Amino acid sequence: MTQLVQNLVDGLGQGSIFALLALGLTLIFGVMHLLNFAHGELITVSSYAAYALSTLGVGWEVIALAVIVTSVLAAVVIEFLAFRWVRGASEFTMLLTSFGVHFVVAAVFVMYVSPRPLNISKPGWIFDTVRIGGIALEVVDLATIAVTVATLGGTGWLLRKTLFGIALRAAAEDFDAARIMGVRSNRVIRGAFALSGVLAGVAGIFWLMRTGTAAPTAGLTPLLFGVIAAIVGGLGSLGGAVLGGLALGLAQVFFRAWLPADLAGLTEGLIFVLIALLFIVRPQGFVTVRRAERV
Amino acid sequence: MRREPLDRLIVPAGEAGVLVSVLVGGGLLYASGGGSARDTLVSQMLVNAIMVLGLQVYIGNTGILSFGHMGFAAIAGYAVAVLAIDPAFKQLFIPEAPFGLTGANLHPALATAVAVMLLLAVAFLLGLGLTRSGTRAGAVAPTMITLALLFLVHEAARNFTELTAGDRSGLSFGPGNSLEGRGWIYAALAASVLAARLFRETRTGRLAQAAREDELSARAVGIDPARPQMVALLLSVVLITLGASLRVQLLGSMTPNFFFFDYTLLTLAMLVVGGRKSVTGALIGVVIITAGSELTRYLAGDAVSVPGLDWLLRDGLSDVFLGGAMLGFMIVRPDGLLRDRELGDWLRRRLRSGEEAPEPVTILAKPRRPSTLSATGLTVRFGGFLAVHEASVEVRTGEIVGLIGPNGAGKTTLLNAITGVVPVTSGNVSLGGRDLTRRPAHLIARAGVARTFQNFRLFPALSVREHVEVVSLVAERHRDGRSLPDARALLVAAGLWEARDRVAEEIDTGAARKLELARAAALAPDFLLLDEPTTGMSEAESAAMIEHVRKTAASVGAGVLVIDHDLHFITNVCDRIFVLDQGRVIAHGTPEEVQADPQVRAAYLGADGYG
Repeated sequence: MTQLVQNLVDGLGQGSIFALLALGLTLIFGVMHLLNFAHGELITVSSYAAYALSTLGVGWEVIALAVIVTSVLAAVVIEFLAFRWVRGASEFTMLLTSFGVHFVVAAVFVMYVSPRPLNISKPGWIFDTVRIGGIALEVVDLATIAVTVATLGGTGWLLRKTLFGIALRAAAEDFDAARIMGVRSNRVIRGAFALSGVLAGVAGIFWLMRTGTAAPTAGLTPLLFGVIAAIVGGLGSLGGAVLGGLALGLAQVFFRAWLPADLAGLTEGLIFVLIALLFIVRPQGFVTVRRAERV
Repeated sequence: MRREPLDRLIVPAGEAGVLVSVLVGGGLLYASGGGSARDTLVSQMLVNAIMVLGLQVYIGNTGILSFGHMGFAAIAGYAVAVLAIDPAFKQLFIPEAPFGLTGANLHPALATAVAVMLLLAVAFLLGLGLTRSGTRAGAVAPTMITLALLFLVHEAARNFTELTAGDRSGLSFGPGNSLEGRGWIYAALAASVLAARLFRETRTGRLAQAAREDELSARAVGIDPARPQMVALLLSVVLITLGASLRVQLLGSMTPNFFFFDYTLLTLAMLVVGGRKSVTGALIGVVIITAGSELTRYLAGDAVSVPGLDWLLRDGLSDVFLGGAMLGFMIVRPDGLLRDRELGDWLRRRLRSGEEAPEPVTILAKPRRPSTLSATGLTVRFGGFLAVHEASVEVRTGEIVGLIGPNGAGKTTLLNAITGVVPVTSGNVSLGGRDLTRRPAHLIARAGVARTFQNFRLFPALSVREHVEVVSLVAERHRDGRSLPDARALLVAAGLWEARDRVAEEIDTGAARKLELARAAALAPDFLLLDEPTTGMSEAESAAMIEHVRKTAASVGAGVLVIDHDLHFITNVCDRIFVLDQGRVIAHGTPEEVQADPQVRAAYLGADGYG
């Protein structure tokens, strides 16, 4: 029972990160039909900001803020330099564009920083636990969950109550119709990238706290899980993305806990098998979005 | 004189010969300029070319992006290494390989043959999943499955150390066991270029390309994308296996990182820069990227120093070049330098230019057996919305039947439901007593129901001629026993003969609608379902189109069900009319009867008639 609750919290903590990433990915997919393989680069870029500040001995409250700002800036800049030029192109073109962005960003850090991973000092409380009724829970998990809930709440408010949010949801639902109704596409797309930057930034804070690593491909692993979560959630459904992220986090933790020791090395591998099977059995994800194409 | 073998076999084969000669000849010339480094570079380039052709066969023809082909390559690389490395050497790395593989000692060629068999089996199983998950170009699910394969194989290679020796040492060929001479590379390259080039011209390749250009309309003319995509995958994996085998022999070892992310980037960049849809383009990309990478690596190295450019010329520059080349081409010219053109296209055009237009189709030799297409009590529900509610319509061969109704009445949905494009909630569709309800769209098309689309859907990058020819290929196989219309004659009848070698995205709306009709007619259907064939046309164009529809239908002997807003069209041409309102059939009969019907006047024409 104790173990179960611990795993549950652990899984939700991991899953929160994936959920935030998946939400950003699904927002972008909604407004421009792009599955953004460069979404992880927001974390990559942020990881170097975190590294720079951590070498200066700055505390994590400042680093956290810097990570979000960097992530938003990176999102907007990448949109401006790459994605705005392929708007409306085929999905194939956009997929490869984001793939190209991923490699260019990684290579730039190889060129100007180092091909080797660098250490970011983790916050002092990273290994702390709190005991609640005899169950030891990691502070970092609780913090991740709390901040994620707050972020999702804020995002929900933004999407439902503000003019920008409503325009964004309308555009995600039917971009052409939204444009005819006067939604300004440039603004909405840039806004969607900025918002996805905020979400990736929050996810990045906790990802970097846990890994304590800045590297040219620091964003690759979280990206992959974010992509999987977004697709599990139906790619285009905001609620589905969050659920997908949480489900994936839980799956990962329980998988690791229950797998026999000699197979533990294959955890990642088995997750990839599951992913492949998932896409084969239900390519449209588990939260079905009615994206009827007019024919 | 038959044009086909010259056009589709001899010229492409000659082209392949020229390409291989230029590539190998140029490489040897460059290598003769000095040193073993150049020799190695050229050999690597030629091996990379084989890998890129493997990618081209699948990605180029199907439009589905695969990140996982290097996963196949990794399996192949290990298979060849484990089978072919001298047992004495294997004792050092993998003394306890399962199934006694430590003792295996096959000739590399034989090991490659075994690897091909193994990979065909793997690719077949994965292909079943891929085609199930999505067959549309750019579809996300198959791309993710291939990505999962890449990571899975990588993880397995790192962890399954009894067989792979893992990350650290990798598997090494001994000094005496590496690739002897370059003959194998040249032979494999020649075979790969020929295979990739000829595949483009095969029936299977052409069906895959049509589905790549527009999956939905490919299905609507009877193409099942799954089969050609599977064949493309199998052929591409054979080439990938050949390339992987040569690459590990050339490099003399195999590790998990040999065929992973970096090599995926390299080969994909090569594929898309020159043009993924073209074999010539893929090879040009190989040369450009190889040259560019070498140049950037040289500039970034210690050998040169350009004052003022030190900030740029550093390690990692060649990766920026690779990623940048991919990115730049996606933005500026997403289909690559050559798009889908091949080396010999000018020659083919010249050979074709003397071709004479055939007589336009008049009446088929053998009239079609009378038949009836009927939808009975058809209901289509989207969530809580009843788009079509227990609608029944019927068309007989030889008849032209109109389907009218106000906007949003469910006309297009009804047509989509009959043709299997949207799922039927309840009710039946049958053709001549044969039940077609809930059959996949391509089987309904093969049964004899062809259609056009409201916003016409062509195969954008294919030529006008190819549109009808590819459907003729389907008709020959699946509409046998019927007299088939001559594809070229259909083009003449549609006034498209002069435009026959232009690509579809270049022709105007009127021509596009006629081409869509010709494409549907090429299936020799029993029934043609037309969704607003005159939309966006002037009155004169409309009149011509109406006449053209009538002639085309008569010439292939098909019954027609046509949706149109043009009442002139409907009342002049149709034998009978069905009126749809809010998903229900509210009236049917001759044009006169329908016009007199008070319910129709109220619902559709407005209470005061034409007003």
